Amino acid sequence: MIPVLLITLPIFSGLMAFFMKGQSVKSWALLSSFAVLGISIWSLFSDANLLSYSQAWLPSLGSRFDLTMQDGLSKLMCLLTALSFPLVLISTQQNSSNQSPHFFALMLLTQAGLMGVFLAADALLFYFFWELALIPVYFLCSIWGGEKRIAVTFKFFIYTFVGSILMLVGILSLYYMQDTPSFAWSSLTANASKGIYPNWAFWLFFLAFAIKMPIFPLHTWQPDAYEQSPTPVTMILSGVMVKMGLFAAIRWLLPLFPKATEQFAWVIVCCSVIGMIYASLLAIRQDDIKRLIAYSSIAHIGLMSAVIFSGNASGMGGVMIQMFHHGVNVIGLWIVANAIEQKLGTRSLSEMGGLAQKAPTLSILLVVMSLANVALPLTNAFVGEFLMFNSLFKYNVWLTAVAGISIILAAVYTLNMVQKVIYGEVNSLTEKATDTPFNVNFSLVLIAILIVVMGVYPQPLLDLTKDAVTQLFAQQ
Amino acid sequence: MPIQYYIFLALALFSIGIIGVLTRRNAIIVFMCIELMLNSVNLLLVAFSKMHHAEALTAVADTTIGIDAQLFVFFIMVVAAAEVAVGLAIIVMMFRNTHSVDVHFLNRLKN
Amino acid sequence: MNAIIVSAVFGVLMMFASFLVNNKNVYRYLAIIGLSVLLLANILETYAIWSIKFDSFLQLSFERFGLFFNSIAIAATLFYVLLSGKDIVRVGNYSAEYFVLIFFILCGVSLITSYNSLLMLFLGIEIISIPLYILTGSDKKNLKSNEAALKYFLMGAFSTGLMLMGIALSYGAVGNFGLEGRGVVAFGGSMRVSFLEVAGLLLLFISMSFKASAAPFHFWTPDVYEGAPSVFTSFMATIVKATVFIGMIKLLEARTGIFGPTWQIILPLMIVLTLAIGNITAVFQQSVKRMLAYSSIAQAGFMLFALWSANDMGREGILLYSVAYTLATVGIFAVLVKMKDYTFDGFNGLAAKQPLVAASVAVFVLSLAGIPLTAGFFAKYFMLASAIKSGAGVWLLVVAVVFAAVSVYYYFRLIQAMYFKEGEAEMFEQPTNSFKGMLAIFAVLLIVLGIAPSLLFNYLYF
Repeated sequence: MIPVLLITLPIFSGLMAFFMKGQSVKSWALLSSFAVLGISIWSLFSDANLLSYSQAWLPSLGSRFDLTMQDGLSKLMCLLTALSFPLVLISTQQNSSNQSPHFFALMLLTQAGLMGVFLAADALLFYFFWELALIPVYFLCSIWGGEKRIAVTFKFFIYTFVGSILMLVGILSLYYMQDTPSFAWSSLTANASKGIYPNWAFWLFFLAFAIKMPIFPLHTWQPDAYEQSPTPVTMILSGVMVKMGLFAAIRWLLPLFPKATEQFAWVIVCCSVIGMIYASLLAIRQDDIKRLIAYSSIAHIGLMSAVIFSGNASGMGGVMIQMFHHGVNVIGLWIVANAIEQKLGTRSLSEMGGLAQKAPTLSILLVVMSLANVALPLTNAFVGEFLMFNSLFKYNVWLTAVAGISIILAAVYTLNMVQKVIYGEVNSLTEKATDTPFNVNFSLVLIAILIVVMGVYPQPLLDLTKDAVTQLFAQQ
Repeated sequence: MPIQYYIFLALALFSIGIIGVLTRRNAIIVFMCIELMLNSVNLLLVAFSKMHHAEALTAVADTTIGIDAQLFVFFIMVVAAAEVAVGLAIIVMMFRNTHSVDVHFLNRLKN
Repeated sequence: MNAIIVSAVFGVLMMFASFLVNNKNVYRYLAIIGLSVLLLANILETYAIWSIKFDSFLQLSFERFGLFFNSIAIAATLFYVLLSGKDIVRVGNYSAEYFVLIFFILCGVSLITSYNSLLMLFLGIEIISIPLYILTGSDKKNLKSNEAALKYFLMGAFSTGLMLMGIALSYGAVGNFGLEGRGVVAFGGSMRVSFLEVAGLLLLFISMSFKASAAPFHFWTPDVYEGAPSVFTSFMATIVKATVFIGMIKLLEARTGIFGPTWQIILPLMIVLTLAIGNITAVFQQSVKRMLAYSSIAQAGFMLFALWSANDMGREGILLYSVAYTLATVGIFAVLVKMKDYTFDGFNGLAAKQPLVAASVAVFVLSLAGIPLTAGFFAKYFMLASAIKSGAGVWLLVVAVVFAAVSVYYYFRLIQAMYFKEGEAEMFEQPTNSFKGMLAIFAVLLIVLGIAPSLLFNYLYF
């Protein structure tokens, strides 16, 4: 029952929002997103029988409308999705994009698509939601984005569309390789152990996920898209949407192709590590704060994808909780960046300075977010990062050494950003800056509390994802 | 006469028709070549009809096998007549507007 | 038999109406009534409730698949007339005749869906083609229309010649015109005979590829589609093209295996070629009408999959494909006819001026591009799935989906123009409420079929 609510509620409220007028739609969207958050928290404590739903959909095609929260990973990802939308909606109230009813409608539809991806237990349904999450984002970015929005968003769309449609071919070919064709996750994975799936199918799936993550050679759409999207959408893109790729790799790719994963892991791990270094180096050179965060995000995702394909059980646990934490942290960073942009009207680091004097609260929160981004101990990101490096170390020492450089680089670019933004001379631009309004501070403080609490006491999340890890490694 | 002769004759006429369609510039002549193609088919059908009929006669004395092809020929003639009616009308319409029936003028649509 | 007879009767009745009544609206209403009756008659026959029967001497055979396609074609024509009826009437001075010709085309469609002999196939194709030549040239004062008509006529007549030669050769080999082609085997079944039959069927197939505008026999398509009055382009690019595919499916299923293993090379090559030419050239078009013409070639490439797979799923798929493709294309053309500027830029800012029209067009475009939640997705899905079910190589599917992604490029330019660009999209007249309502119904139908495509097939098997 819960999975259905998580999807239908945003769809319903999103469609309603199309027909609303004026300011009421803001409260409506907020209400809906809080309701989804409530349901998502409920799912953590509810009975197992409430967590799945199955209904005949396309009998002639062998596909069912099958939604399950089958383990802690699904729960965690749904929680992330449910948590991020209220945060985003609250903190970006003042943005120019957040004035149109259509904006909220499309945002809520995006949420439905994301939920569907994390919940689908049927390959065709999964593909459906995978695309469904993309279409509203395409409209959101193209209507409310920056100057080059049309071309950039289109590039993003084409990239992901090619990937996903190749995945469809992969799904189809797997479907007909089974003795009794079925799209169900359970049936597909059960047949995987017979080793009947060929290696090229692995690549068809992998491409779709790698583009979404994105992994090194396929990342070129990302910085542009993050920069040109309206910031609320960027938050969703980097906070939740890239997790689609990671999640799909864990949920579908690893169980379906254990052999191929083992065989090709080194390629993917190498690409990921190269991507980490490359993105970190580029991040250092960025002057635009949005691009900086975008490249830093690529670096973080690179580490996660490297561990997904090489990791041991504890590393996989680290990836799972890091998916959540990275989502929260990066949304925090975006909120700060957005607040600065709203205040100063620029995103260029070289034009900023002295914000600590003018906007002390925002500066303190920026420091907290930045430290979490560097994964300092006692912030939430530390635990995951530690577990992941530990696991990568066991896979290959040299790669770990190279990947370790990215930690240093992360410290360089993050602290450089902090320094340029909050210290230094107050200039003509930052003179008028004041502290941020209550709604921004509220969501930032909430995130800061999460960062610290989860950094000190990470056990609940590790417990939550334990069953997912055990299941994954039991299959292989 | 062996059936092959008819086949070759018909194919020769047909090929002349095709070549005419592909190379001639005058719409009327192109159209005539198309008619030539259709008539070569008529010839071939009648020949085949006769052949199948003769073959069937050896087995059964009073057979109608082979008659269908000759009926087909009538259908082709009727349809060809309908096509002539429409086609000439189109060519005349074209001529009224451009005072030419040269098909090589038909490239205004290309750009 | 109902559809054939009733459509012919209505065609003749409309002809009489044209000199008895002199009111354009009356023609339109008569056509709508006629199409409704025709649809009803065909449905009655589908469910074996009432039908006109007489002996066709095995020339025709009526089965559910064909009858069901008749219903689709007739219903699509009905929607088409409801949506664009006013524009049809406006093309020239002989308004009633256009409807007459449409009725005759439907008669040809019903012949093709039920032929059991190559004679009927030939007649069906001709009954469709000859009215289409006239419709193409119906804008008599317009040079482009003239040219398109002449080109279409010459090409069409030429392909008729090929078809007849094919039929004649096939007849020479098997001794009758039956669809199955089994009868007397002449020459004692020697090798040369089967060569005759193969050559004949190949010619037949080529000539039908002409009509279906599959590459490499597509070259007439863009010019003709662009030159013809837009309302009629939408008709011949959709309903007629789908019908030809039904004819091809029937033929290839009956004579399956005749081409031997080379068929497994020829047809995939044709598919790839058609997809490549259609999609790549469509990318470079500036006129929406011409883009749609090329994209219709590309869509034909996907429909060819049904011929390749030749299984039940392919048959279901081609039905779904014709519905999805027809609804979307007819819808876009109905809007296009009303636009002043046929280029992409002519659509700039349409969303701000006409939100409902723009939203419907967006759904049509998404459906043509094959995005999930629209019928177009399942149409493509059925094609790919049926092919893989028949053991197609994955490379073929990968090529097909890559070209589907290319198609997104040019289809989405329309969305970009309507939604993201500033501009004054000018229309000849403000769309009426009923027009908008019909468009919305089209869009809703596409979405409903995109969520539950099996709704369509329930009527195929009930």
